Amino acid sequence: MDALIQAFGLVFDPSVLVVILLSAVFGMFVGAMPGLTATMATALLVPVTFFMPPIPALGAIVTATAMAIFAGDIPAAMLRMPGTPASAAYADESYEMTKKGQLNLNMGVNLVFSVAGGLVGVVVLIAAAPALAEVAINFSSFEYFWLACLGLTCAVFLTNADAVKGFLSLFLGLLLATVGIDPSAGFPRFTFGEVELMQGINFIATMIGMFAVSELLRGAVTVRDAGHVVVQQVGDMFRGLGAVWRRYWFNFLRGSVIGTVIGALPGAGADIAAWISYAVSKRFSKEPEKFGTGHVEGIVDSTSANNSALGGAWIPALVFGIPGDSITAIVIGVLYMKNMNPGPTVFTENPQLIYSVFLIFILANLIMLPLGWAAIKSARQMLRTPRNLLLPCILLFCIVGSFAMTNSLYGVVLMLVMGLFGWFLEEHGIPVAPLILGLVLGEMLEQTFVQSMIKADGHYLEFFARPIAGVLGVATLLIWGVMLARGIMRSARR
Amino acid sequence: MRLNDALLGAILLGFAGWVWWMTTFFPAFPGQDYGPNLFPRILACGIALCGAMLVLRGLRQRAPLVAVDGWMRDPAKLVSFLLIPGATLFYVLASDRLGFIPTAFAILLALALWFRARPLVALPVAAGVTLAVHWFFSGLMRVPLPRGLMDPLL
Repeated sequence: MDALIQAFGLVFDPSVLVVILLSAVFGMFVGAMPGLTATMATALLVPVTFFMPPIPALGAIVTATAMAIFAGDIPAAMLRMPGTPASAAYADESYEMTKKGQLNLNMGVNLVFSVAGGLVGVVVLIAAAPALAEVAINFSSFEYFWLACLGLTCAVFLTNADAVKGFLSLFLGLLLATVGIDPSAGFPRFTFGEVELMQGINFIATMIGMFAVSELLRGAVTVRDAGHVVVQQVGDMFRGLGAVWRRYWFNFLRGSVIGTVIGALPGAGADIAAWISYAVSKRFSKEPEKFGTGHVEGIVDSTSANNSALGGAWIPALVFGIPGDSITAIVIGVLYMKNMNPGPTVFTENPQLIYSVFLIFILANLIMLPLGWAAIKSARQMLRTPRNLLLPCILLFCIVGSFAMTNSLYGVVLMLVMGLFGWFLEEHGIPVAPLILGLVLGEMLEQTFVQSMIKADGHYLEFFARPIAGVLGVATLLIWGVMLARGIMRSARR
Repeated sequence: MRLNDALLGAILLGFAGWVWWMTTFFPAFPGQDYGPNLFPRILACGIALCGAMLVLRGLRQRAPLVAVDGWMRDPAKLVSFLLIPGATLFYVLASDRLGFIPTAFAILLALALWFRARPLVALPVAAGVTLAVHWFFSGLMRVPLPRGLMDPLL
């Protein structure tokens, strides 16, 4: 109880509230601009929050991402351009509604169900995380090894891309994580005598490169022939919402639950949650023929799902230190930088931190209602921001942000190399998310693997001897089996 | 730009071989079976396996060795693309000597003008953003941004 009061004091500090408000505005803007993603917002925020105490730093990230995921719906409906990948699943549907003259209702549905879905995700986070932490406190290296394996496998399994390329990305990320002093013997690996590389690849500079610079490279090609944007003004967006609530309350619950679960699975975040819940909505709808013609049903499911996924993603991140999506991958990096290694012990040693995260989540979702309303009302002006000025500014933020992470040009060079590398990977259909997850989890995976190997001393069944480790191990091997079988069947059919 | 899967796979096979070769220089510790080379070697095997599968797939597909996107043939678009790494490299090479403020201003202005912003808008935006970023990172957050030419003024 003391911890809860302490958390209230930490969060409702005026300076923290100002940070939350500013990051909310920042998140709204980044989310609403097509081509700038929620992950990019987080990567650019980290250098800014680097020198802050943990609570405002986490508050900034939580708020900005929640706003960005909602704000992505605005240009999806107005311009048929999703502001973030999380809105891509139903951008066409939203735009069809706009064409039918239902932009007001569409915006209202997106706003209110985003808030409600986000709150469901938070409730599940609050209920599930402490309970899981109590179980996790008894975990040994075997459980953590399998958990990391399972998480990384899910990251490949859920990314729609083909498995070979997914695993390739994962292995490259894990290999990047081995750069620097090795955890078992203290030997510098792959450093080529460079002092900067001894501490390992700087994670935030890598993220800025992979998620922001590679996006700039893609955006730069089209920026010169971008035309002027014409956007309708939105009227009363709350009219008719009651009817939608009464008719589709089950869709809302289903979407939020699917979103939370998918968010909690490592490697899959808001975008995949939206795709899957949209597909589920269509599959079980009484009127599936209306989907794609501007029907509100699928939007209720998926706009709830992508916001609830955000809360879900924090469950494995806080409890096990295993990120649920690429945003929480950055968060884990931030926690390590602040010397608060995520894991079950945080719940007993720093409960006020956990409660603060919960409080910030609730607060972020509540202020989304007025701020989202304001963002929709000012969408005309916001979407008119000239991209030819925005792009150079973002590049400058990337450069300064990477520089600030290392206080040297090494960060800038690393960012550039990773940006080009990330662009190259995506050009070849190789997803970037598994690589980032591999980079974050690499050290933990190697450490628990080597520890477990030493403990097992050649008796490999030891890896399955403890009950939870056994279940996790068998589940991992099963998914590997399914993926292998799918691959073989696919190549046999050709 | 897209390399053929076979070519990409071959590069990966070579890379995996190089990683394995590097691990042969890692020290072994007597009495310790699992040293610093174990994990990188497993990863090298994984990368090699993926590479081999891509080679097999690429040989079956018969796609061109390197496929170039349409925009790469348009010189203006190619310049737009290259300006992003170019500007970053310019920062790396010039910021120490020129200092943060002139370098950042030059980058912002050059990019905005190339992207067809009007000079009357681009100039104040470039100047304002440069000063704001400098104030925030150097003043508030004490990041040691290079002073360069501006040293006597700051």
